[in-house]
Amino acid sequence: MAATACRGLFSIAKHASKSVVPRVVGTRLCSTDLHPTIRPVNAVQRQTLTEFGQYVAECLPKYVQKVQITAGNELEVLIAPEGVVPVITFLKDHTNSQFTSLADLCGVDMPSRAYRFEVVYNLLSLRYNSRIRVKTYTDELTPLESITDVFKGANWYEREVWDMFGVFFANHPDLRRILTDYGFEGHPFRKDFPLTGYVECRYDDEVKRVVVEPVELAQEYRKFDLSAPWEQFPNFREQAAAEVPIKEEEK
Amino acid sequence: MATKKLMTGLTGLAVDAQPHHTLSVLYGKILRCLQKMPPDASYRKYTEQTITERFNYVKTEPDREKLEKALNAGQLEEVIKQAEGELTLARKMLDWKPWEPLVQEPPEGQWKWPI
Repeated sequence: MAATACRGLFSIAKHASKSVVPRVVGTRLCSTDLHPTIRPVNAVQRQTLTEFGQYVAECLPKYVQKVQITAGNELEVLIAPEGVVPVITFLKDHTNSQFTSLADLCGVDMPSRAYRFEVVYNLLSLRYNSRIRVKTYTDELTPLESITDVFKGANWYEREVWDMFGVFFANHPDLRRILTDYGFEGHPFRKDFPLTGYVECRYDDEVKRVVVEPVELAQEYRKFDLSAPWEQFPNFREQAAAEVPIKEEEK
Repeated sequence: MATKKLMTGLTGLAVDAQPHHTLSVLYGKILRCLQKMPPDASYRKYTEQTITERFNYVKTEPDREKLEKALNAGQLEEVIKQAEGELTLARKMLDWKPWEPLVQEPPEGQWKWPI
């Protein structure tokens, strides 16, 4: 029924003016039996990225632990925490890579791991129209070397990671809170930080000022048992990223 | 040179009066810096290869535009920027010694995803 309605819209749109076209594309996407949306496979790009990943691993065997490429053709270089500055500098300054733009720097918290925090650097090469992701790991106490000497733009990103996760960046020029309120305690993006926070503030009419009090919940804590909404395809769980073989036998 | 190049069209990037000379100096410095690395280091091998290739083009092609076309890496001023980056990188690499074996194995399950 929906499909015939869509088809009807589509045939109308063919005779209509061009301004109708975007809306019709939307309705076509909602139907399942006309043309399923399939991500095109770009084998050439995948091959290029794989080779570049091997190139990086071969040039920097001291730091690169693993290279992988995701299903969506995103190259990921997983490095030891000691090698943050060398790897990022290499990717930025080397003639064959030229990732001169730091697109993003963020953190991930996985408390079950030995080093619970992952720090992710996303870089963009304007010269070769290519992106790369560098990942490393740390815990609450181990400082990570700051890359502000390489990318000035990393300053605020690192402050943000420090604020949200409590990852300490050594040699950062100005490591302060950036997003949370004055006097805030704790790092809100940690998995062990409660969703409600520890304190709440309100304006108190009697004392004529904003007061900060420990949070009081009207309802007792409820445990929601929800299966993860992004795990609808368990058969494809392990195929999210394919490992790129690093040729170590050659050396 | 038929006409003098007036601008690169890129903000903050001035025209270099003698790009061949600048590039030759920079490439010479890079190659000398690479000489200090161990000969089997991959970084040295690959960088020597690309830099020597570019150096040969610079030596043989006196015309600005033809050289840009041959290098296929943007304008000569951009190529100079790239060479400067490579030189600082090569000098830092001497300190970092990235050709050594892996400094630290990842802990068990560190890169496993999903957990």
